[in-house]
Amino acid sequence: METLFNIVVFPGMFYVLAWTVLLFWFFRKFMAALHKRVGPSFNGPAGSYQTLFDLSKLLTKESITPDGVNPYLFSIMPLLAVIVATLPTAFIPWTPDVYVIPTQYGVLALVVLIGIEPFLLFLTGFGSNNKYSFLGGIRILTQMISMETAFFLAALSPALLFGTMSLGEIVEQSSWLSFLILFPGFILYFIALLGLLEQPPFNIPDAEQEIVYGFYTEYSGTNYFLLKLAEFAEFMAVFAGAATLFLGAYKGIFFDGYIFFFLKMLLIAIVMMTIRASTPRITMKQMLNFSWSYLVPLSLLNMAWVLMAKHFILGVGL
Amino acid sequence: MQDLRKALSAHEILSVEVYKTMWLKVRIDSHDLLAVAQTLKDEGFIAISTVSPTDFLEEDRMEMNYFFENYTTKRNCWLKCDIPRDIEACEIDSITPMFPGANWHEREAYSMFGVRFRGHPDLRPIIVSQDFYDKTPFRKDFDWDAHEANTVENIQQIVDAFKEEQEINEEHLDASSSEMILNWGPTHPASGPIRLKVHCDGEDIISIDPDIGFVWRALEHLVTKKDFVGAIVAVERLCFMDNINSMVGYCQAVEEIADVEITEFAKWMRVLLGEVSRISSHAMGMGGFYNAMGLHTVGMWNMDIREYFLDFLESYSGARIATAAIEPGGVRYGLQMNMLDELQKALDKFDATKDDIKTIFVNNPTMKVRAAKKGIITAKEVESFALCGVVARSSGVKIDVRIDEPYAAYAQVKMDYVVQKEGSAKDRLSTLFGELEQSIDIIKQAKRHIEAEIENGNFNPTKDHMVKVPKKLPKGEAISRVEWSRGEVLMHLVTDDKAKSPYRLKMKAPSFNHTMMLNKMLQGETLSDIPLIFGSLYICQGDLDR
Repeated sequence: METLFNIVVFPGMFYVLAWTVLLFWFFRKFMAALHKRVGPSFNGPAGSYQTLFDLSKLLTKESITPDGVNPYLFSIMPLLAVIVATLPTAFIPWTPDVYVIPTQYGVLALVVLIGIEPFLLFLTGFGSNNKYSFLGGIRILTQMISMETAFFLAALSPALLFGTMSLGEIVEQSSWLSFLILFPGFILYFIALLGLLEQPPFNIPDAEQEIVYGFYTEYSGTNYFLLKLAEFAEFMAVFAGAATLFLGAYKGIFFDGYIFFFLKMLLIAIVMMTIRASTPRITMKQMLNFSWSYLVPLSLLNMAWVLMAKHFILGVGL
Repeated sequence: MQDLRKALSAHEILSVEVYKTMWLKVRIDSHDLLAVAQTLKDEGFIAISTVSPTDFLEEDRMEMNYFFENYTTKRNCWLKCDIPRDIEACEIDSITPMFPGANWHEREAYSMFGVRFRGHPDLRPIIVSQDFYDKTPFRKDFDWDAHEANTVENIQQIVDAFKEEQEINEEHLDASSSEMILNWGPTHPASGPIRLKVHCDGEDIISIDPDIGFVWRALEHLVTKKDFVGAIVAVERLCFMDNINSMVGYCQAVEEIADVEITEFAKWMRVLLGEVSRISSHAMGMGGFYNAMGLHTVGMWNMDIREYFLDFLESYSGARIATAAIEPGGVRYGLQMNMLDELQKALDKFDATKDDIKTIFVNNPTMKVRAAKKGIITAKEVESFALCGVVARSSGVKIDVRIDEPYAAYAQVKMDYVVQKEGSAKDRLSTLFGELEQSIDIIKQAKRHIEAEIENGNFNPTKDHMVKVPKKLPKGEAISRVEWSRGEVLMHLVTDDKAKSPYRLKMKAPSFNHTMMLNKMLQGETLSDIPLIFGSLYICQGDLDR
């Protein structure tokens, strides 16, 4: 019974869907404020039904499969993308009690599941039989290979500090001091996160003005909805990863609870949106240069710093 | 000017006269064209503004007009010569090998009038769609009704030609490489109605061939079907973003032929309205620059400011975008003082926001990383391709018609060239913002002046705005130049005796020259640079196609 609840309601399908709708609406409203616009405002309180209507519209619209593509590859990829993007939720300690798979290898599971996603998206671009989609697929692959290195190295620094791969234990051991030690790692994680989630200045794979909509170009209707759902589920996985690894997950100021987890994720979303509203896109070459000449070396330095801090500040033997 | 006269005297000149102090009007024989053009080039007249044929059906001749400009001395030369009108014999030497800026202008003359240019490197039709190929639509004897009777066949012809092109366009490419042809437009998110045929190898661009004409409305033909006042609605559709200044250019030409001097008040109103219009265009231009890099915030913020200026235009003319507010003889409406209150609100709005825009967007570090080394145009290229406006000034070339050949009341306005040095995409953004600030300053000057003169009783704002221009004009021709928001607009107006409508109006618009540069600038760059460079050139398809 509890497993069923976990799968269907929290932190399973319903939770992911609710999060997607809420985040989508929040992105629109927050972006509108930064743009000095109003944003959706007619349907429901502060236009909140708009997103629900969008969702139902996309679900019911015809899903067009272009000529000359492999229909199985074309349609199965969005489904796979959603499943893979949703899986990390099972490994994250959302509250002290809801922790579906309390494994010793939580960090690894998180990192691997987030890491598979781009390859699925590459295959969507590859299977679309469209020049722009293909370029988008190539771009996402290039970007992921360079950004994930830094992302993984940064994500491993808490595991290194606390000497465990279990996300539950990392959260329990975290403190203000550990937050300070891990802060450089958090910054690196955040920058790599922008690249991973294709957010400005790294929104290169689906650069609208250059290659139309990248790997999304040929998708419509339900398939498009699934891809968008996967994108927002991925947002959640990566935000939750940041909150768990660096910010102490559900730990609060006076009491512990899911609300703090939520607020921490929201904080990351707000910072991400503010960057999005003020930063133009850079090019592929600049991204590669930035990633391999600065981000990856800094991530390696960060690991050295974490080890030194562990030894000299926390006084734990190596 | 004397030097030029002297240099030209070596050739056989049919007639020569000084025109409007800045121009030398020369008539030559068409066989001497290349020799005279060489002399002009040696004398520093490197920029060719446009090539404009005029079709005189009754006299059975085609008159070619060449407008050469000297960016250093600001003196210009207007060259005229006649060629036979008969389609078989309608031929003249091409000056493109000497003046690369003439390339597309000669192609346009070829498409519209059937003038063939000997020695042109790439004489293909431009602007017109396939159903107009070899049909010379701007000749006076072209039957538009007969052409439009077969609309369905015409469209079929365009569709077939497109399909055929798509089938064969990748055949000559190396099959083992990653080369391909991309259609960047006309339904691309950032392109607007223009198609760039991008030949690329993966992400690297090998060459670009712009295909233009998707919004060709044949405006230059349309004006000949309207009376002199009605023509302004066609002229202002050059581009809706800055509609006032294009009307000013046309009206000046009409007033010159009618020999009418407009009132001082109307002149100042033209300055005021023109600068408001320029702001509304530049604000969109800055937005377009950033939209091309995937950042929409500045576009939205500028749109917010622009609305206030449009409020003023609405209070004055009743329309926000297509105002039709300038008429031959002055400005269309009188001025009520509460309209200036609207303007003051807009000025306050700009002053309140400009620091934020400057800090966050004009000096944006990520933008500089992206744009400081891209799309560089040298001052030399500016001259040889006759680039103008924001693009020219960003490369450090000091040209601005408002200063060089002042019209309306610009002679009394205090202003200076807004220039940058390097001519990169980033510099063009800085120039745009610099000119926004300059326009605000000019508006403030004009507003102060108008208010003071009304106070003194020198201006009567409800009566002075118009002087009468006769409905029928004498035979004549005139050119008038204005500094439009995108650069120099040159209007060449020809009228017949007792004419009720223009006989021929050539509108030279800046985007045409700027788009010509795309292939040169984008070769060897990557796909990511197309929107950046295209956006930074501040191109509007309205005045590109006309």
